[in-house]
Formats: sequence, structure tokens, C-alpha cells
Amino acid sequence: MLEARGLSKSFGRARALDGVSVEIAPGEVVAVTGPSGAGKSTLLHCLAGVLRPESGEVVLDGRRIDTLGEAELTALRRQSFGIVFQFGELVPELSAVENVALPLLFNRHGRGEAMAAAAEWLERLEVADCADQRIGELSGGQRQRVAVARALVTGPRVVFADEPTGALDTLGGEQVMTAMLGAARAGGAAVVLVTHDNRVAAYADREITLRDGAVLAGVNP
Amino acid sequence: MITVLRMLNRGRSRPERVRAWLVGAGAGVAAFLVCTAVSLADFRDEGGSLTGLALALLALPVAGLVHQANRLATATRERRLAALRLAGAAPGDVRRLGALEGGWLALTGSLAGSVVYALTHLPGPLAPVPFVVVLMTAGGVVSGARAGRDVIASPLGVTRRPRVRGPRVRDLLLALTGVALLVAGLTLKGGFPIGGKYGTAVAMAAGMVLLLFGLTMAATWLIRACAARIGRRARSPETLLAARLVESDPRAWARALSVVGLTVFFGAGSGAQQAGTGYWHAHALIDVALLLAMLTSAAALVVHQAEELIDLRRSFAALAAAGVPERSLGRVLVRQAAIAALPVCAVAAAAGVGVVVFSVLDIYQARWLVWALTRAVAMTGIGVLTAMLVALAARPLLRGALRLETLRAGR
Amino acid sequence: MGNRAISSPRLFIECIVVIMSTGHVLLGLLAERPQHGYELKKEHDQRLAGAKPLAYGQVYATLQRLERDGFAEVAETRQEGGPERTLYAITEEGRAELERWLGTIEPPAPYVAGGLFARVAVAGKAADGYLVRQREAHLARMRELTAEKASGTPARVLAADYALQHLDADLRWIETALARMKEEGDHA
Ligand SMILES: Nc1ncnc2c1ncn2[C@@H]1O[C@H](COP(=O)(O)OP(=O)(O)O)[C@@H](O)[C@H]1O
Ligand SMILES: [Mg+2]
Repeated sequence: MLEARGLSKSFGRARALDGVSVEIAPGEVVAVTGPSGAGKSTLLHCLAGVLRPESGEVVLDGRRIDTLGEAELTALRRQSFGIVFQFGELVPELSAVENVALPLLFNRHGRGEAMAAAAEWLERLEVADCADQRIGELSGGQRQRVAVARALVTGPRVVFADEPTGALDTLGGEQVMTAMLGAARAGGAAVVLVTHDNRVAAYADREITLRDGAVLAGVNP
Repeated sequence: MITVLRMLNRGRSRPERVRAWLVGAGAGVAAFLVCTAVSLADFRDEGGSLTGLALALLALPVAGLVHQANRLATATRERRLAALRLAGAAPGDVRRLGALEGGWLALTGSLAGSVVYALTHLPGPLAPVPFVVVLMTAGGVVSGARAGRDVIASPLGVTRRPRVRGPRVRDLLLALTGVALLVAGLTLKGGFPIGGKYGTAVAMAAGMVLLLFGLTMAATWLIRACAARIGRRARSPETLLAARLVESDPRAWARALSVVGLTVFFGAGSGAQQAGTGYWHAHALIDVALLLAMLTSAAALVVHQAEELIDLRRSFAALAAAGVPERSLGRVLVRQAAIAALPVCAVAAAAGVGVVVFSVLDIYQARWLVWALTRAVAMTGIGVLTAMLVALAARPLLRGALRLETLRAGR
Repeated sequence: MGNRAISSPRLFIECIVVIMSTGHVLLGLLAERPQHGYELKKEHDQRLAGAKPLAYGQVYATLQRLERDGFAEVAETRQEGGPERTLYAITEEGRAELERWLGTIEPPAPYVAGGLFARVAVAGKAADGYLVRQREAHLARMRELTAEKASGTPARVLAADYALQHLDADLRWIETALARMKEEGDHA
């Protein structure tokens, strides 16, 4: 469904990606692992249409997306992808439920409908109690679950998560992972999970290991 | 303390140098304007003193700008100041650092401004010059000390937004004292009990500053109340975001808008007066001064916008990555400006008309009201438009803030 | 699947449980309430999920040893048609012994998985390929354990956590070893 062929990307002299090819099937959970600086985040951003690769192509359902115009690409990200960052990166001025409703509002759903759907998602991720709290008042784990709700609320095809548990302790990370994967599975979304923690990678169906911007050969089953 | 300041300055970035320039230049321009105003203030001639008043009015937004720039300094240096706190500096130390820097920049700037004044007004009076320089430096010190308040709150560098209070009696008293000083200056003219003509100028300047403070407090409360209301009803995500952003930091908006509001107030007031009386020449001059004041206050808005974008960049960059178009985020900025500026300008305009009409209620004719109200509406429009144009102009800054690199730097 | 034969990660838990004194575990169970040998076996296997199940013979041998040392006593013997059933209870001495054992700190012995470490120590840089395959095996087992956690009983989840953390420590060692070998290769 989502496929990348021969992706390369450099920043100045640093070669972050060097001919990476990956394929992600619908509903699949794939972990991208490797030491820091290996190009994991860069790969994720290229797949998610946030960065454009210098060479190679990214194809979603048979359509090339790396060559789309900025407006089209933005709309695609908004409708087909969800992103979770390490620190949540929610809007601190909004309440939790408003944060989750935001993507729906930007997809031009009505306010009532968006808020109701957002509240439902918070419930599903067991943070319904925090709905009206500002982000600053939430714990790291609650924040991450709100971020997961925000990524999933639009019913995306693929969810991209970059070190989603990086700032959490073991139990908090576990709760976020089970919540995220459970919700993604229920919605049929594929998950691309960047992590350098093997215990988090163990949640995935399979693993892609990067080293120095390339897929480590002989590792993948 | 001086050593630490030197250390901080050695490592400063381009924006910080620009900011230091802004503070110095602002202090210089303000000093020049105030000196010129004092020299022009000739209380035997109504026109001359009105011109002086107009010039003094012009110095206000410039002073506001200086304060904004001092605040920006703490925003850009937040991390390093926080590191200072963690390294054991007491809140007082950090405040003293800010005061020292603000005072130093204001001193050099106002000295430069005075030199320019002395050179261009060779025959003019030089007596008020040292007085103005001292005043400006003191202002720089106070502004520098106050600017770091947010950072000082926590060594962890999480700027704690000060809680917004409701309106207080003290704010009202400040504003009333300001009005009283202004009125006293205008009625006593050259015959001020202390210091004669210069005493009048100082009293009026002080009155204006007090009025501004009081109005800012009132505006903070007004802006928050309006934003909360709009946020509750917002249907579009842009309006929701804009209202919530304004609601969470109404004080910064009030500060940035205080001069805009004052300009609208005076504009509407002079409009109400023009309708009935003469002095066309002086009134035209005041209008020009008001226009210039509006332009300068726009600069304060620009600084505020830049400061705000520093705060917003992480969450906005994440929104952009999640597929929110840059256009929408630009719209958020513009709506924010409208949400904050509309209540302030409307109230200011109404107050301006009200003050004039009530002071001469016995002779005011109903047909003059048409012109007065038209002027008031026009002034409101101009005020709001200025704020919105500044927000529009900030779009290139927004583009810079949305770059993905923003999210790479760790917390 | 041949990979996993290299050095089954499952071995870990088994090693650890064998090192641990079965007698003390049974004492701990008896401290809750008097039990039959058969109940004890069931309780043991359930609590220490993932460990090797106890054999009946071992249960009775251990109980007899506890009785001999004065840590446990026979509380009741009943025979109702079926086989003889003996109910065991803990003694005061047994409680003291249990208390002592619970307070004893385990020697922080690094559980170097013998085979894994020995192979790398012997093969040196040539172990590179081996480590990569071993890593795969470890991760595959971690995936299984993670999946088990989703549907397991609380006891199973605890056991799986224990195994996961140890496997993770192993994996991190493997990764560091790989990185070190690469670094040495770069310098040479
Ligand atoms: N915006 C950028 N500017 C400069 N260098 C970058 C940028 N993004 C990534 N890099 C470089 O590319 C390499 C890969 O980075 P990244 O994808 O973030 O790695 P990972 O996520 O695996 O830690 C690193 O060497 C990093 O320094
Ligand atoms: Mg990364």
C-alpha cells in the first residue's frame, strides 16, 4: 500500500538516507530501528510526505506522492496520515478534547460532531477524565495518549510514530503502545514505528533496521 | 555581574544583536522626540503646545517598542537565563542582569538621540536634555528588570504564564491619576507649581504613562473575556485556535495593543471635537501625529508577533506536519489580531467620543454626533486593520517557524 | 526456526528458577494457608508462570525435607475413599526462615548466557554474523512474549516482563558488541 523505492536524502554533507526501499502492507505494524543518527526519523518524514527525498519515490496506493504539489500533499497528510511525535507536540493553549478535535475541524467537520468524536477517542484511550484540561496539566503518558487520539481521529491509512514512548517510563510506554496499536488495528491503519527500544520494537509485526542511512541486509525475515 | 553580562553578550546571536540595536535606536528616537516636544511646548500658544503634545504622544509608542524589545530579549535568551538560574543565580540576579542591560542600552541610545537633538536644534533650550536622558535610562532599567519576570519564575525555563486577574481598583486608580495629571497639565499650562513649563511637560508625560498602564490592565481583562466567548462558539478551527491563543496570553496582546488603543481613543476624541470647534490647523497636525503613532505602534505589534511565534513554533510545526496548510495557520494569526484588537479599539473609540461629548454636553449639538461617530468607527477600523496587517506581514516569519527543523531540536 | 536453537532465550527463566530454592517458594505458599501437595504444585506452576512445572515427586520430597528441618508440619491427614491426602502447614520456625530468605539479597551475578558469551569470546570478530542471527532470535522471542502479554493472566504478564527485560539487556549487549566490532574494524 505504501511503498518507497531507493530513497536518498542529504543534509549538507551528511547523507541521512542512502537508497532505502521499504514496503508497508495495509494494517501492518512495522518498527524502524537502528542507532541514533541512522536516518530513522528522516525515513519516517519522507514516507509521511513531510520531507521530500532527493531521489527515489514514495507511492501510496499506486499514486506517487513525493512529486505532488504542496497543497495536495498537505491535504493527503491531513486525510490519510496521522503523526505522533516523541513529545506529543500538542497545542498547549487548547484543552485535550479540542486538540483531538482539531484535525476533524480542519477537515471541515462541524464543531459539535468533531467534539463528540474527539471525546469518544479520549474515552477509548482512557483519558476521558482529562478532556477539559490544558495540555500543561497532563502527565507525559496522558499527553502521549491524547497525541495518539489526535493522530487516529481522522481514520488515517497509516500512523507514523517517532519515538512515541521515548519520554515515558516502562509502564507508561507500554500503556501508550497497547492503546495506540489497539486503536490502529481497530481502524485498520498501518503503523510505522520509529524506536531505538527493542521492547517497543517487539510490538511490531516486523522490523526494518537502519544503519548509516541504509537498510541493514540479512536482518529481515 | 558585569562579567556575566559580558559572557552572555559574547555568545549572542544575530537576532539578539538586532534586538539590542532596536532597544538602543528606540531609546534614541524617544529621547529626541521628547526633547523636541519640550522645546516646542510653548504654553502661550495653543497650537505650539498641541504640537508638542503630539510629539510627546509619538514618543510613547517608541518607548513601548523599547519595552517590547526588552521582553523579546528574555524570550530569545530564555534557555540561557534558565541555565543561569539552574547554575544558582537567584531571581534577583537575573532581574539585575536584565536591568543592567536595559539601562545600559537606553543610556547609550538616549545619549545618541540627545546629540542629534543638540545638533539639529542649536538655538533650542538644552536644559531638559540631561533630564530626559536620566528619565530614559531609568525607564530602560525598569523595563529590563520587569521583562525577565516570566523566566525568573522557574529555573527549568518553563515560562509560567502569569495568571490574569480581573479588573482591580488599583488599575482604575492608575488610570484616573493619569487622567488627572493630564488635565492638570492642560489647564495649568506654563503655571505648573513645580518647575513651571518643564514641570507641566513631566506631569503630562507621567500622566500619559500611568494612563497607559491602567488601560493595559483593563484591556487585558477585556481581551480575555471576549476571546473566551469567541472560543466557546468558534465553528472553524482557525477561529478556535486564534481565540484560545489570545485567551491564554491576553496580557501580551494588551501590552502590544495599548498604544493602538490610545491612538484610537485620541483619534475618536479629536474627531468629536473637530465636529464643533475650530483650530483646524492644530487638529490636522494631531491627526498626522496620530497616524504616525499608529505606524510606530505597528512596530510594537510586529515585535509582539515575533515573540509569539517563538512560543508557537513547536506546536505549529507539528500541526503543519500533520497536514494543516500554512495558509490556515496564517489565518490563525490574522484572526488572533482581529479578536484582540476589536474589543480594545471599539471601547477606546467609544470612550474617546464619550469623554469629549460629556465634557461639553450642554453645547454639543446632535448633528455633530454624526461626524463624531463616523470618525469613531473609522478609527476603530484603522486600529483593527493595523493589527491585522501586521499579522499578515508576519507570514514569512511563520514560514520559517514551520520548518521541520523546529521539531528536531529536543526539548 | 533453526536460529532459535542457537541458544534458546527461554533457558533464562528456567536457569533462574532452578537456582532459586523450591523449598522457600513452597514455604511462601504455605504461609498463606495450609495446603495439600497437589494444591501446592498447581499454585506454584501458576504463580511462576514461564518456569518449568514442578514434578509431583519433587513437591513431596521438598515437603518432607521442610518437615524434617522443622519448617513445616502435617496439619491433618484424611482419607476419604481416595488416596491419602496430607495437609501441610507452616511452623513458627518456618515463618522465621521464610522471613530470612525474603530479606536475603541475591548476589548481583550477571547472568551471562553461557553459550552466547562464550561463542563471541572464542570467535571474536568472526562472531558478527552469529550475533546478527542471535539478535533476530531474541527479537522473535520478544515478539512472542509481547503478544502473550496482551491476553495473559497477571502472573503470566509478570513473568513475560521479567523475560522481556532480560532479553532486552542481552539484545543491548549484542548491539553494543556489534557496534564495537564495527568500530574496531574501522580503525584497523
Ligand atoms: N534538518 C537537518 N539538518 C541537518 N542534518 C540533519 C537534519 N535532519 C537530519 N540530519 C542528519 O541526518 C542524519 C540522520 O538523522 P535522523 O533521521 O534524525 O536520525 P535518527 O532519527 O535515526 O536518529 C543525522 O546525521 C542527522 O544529523
Ligand atoms: Mg530521530
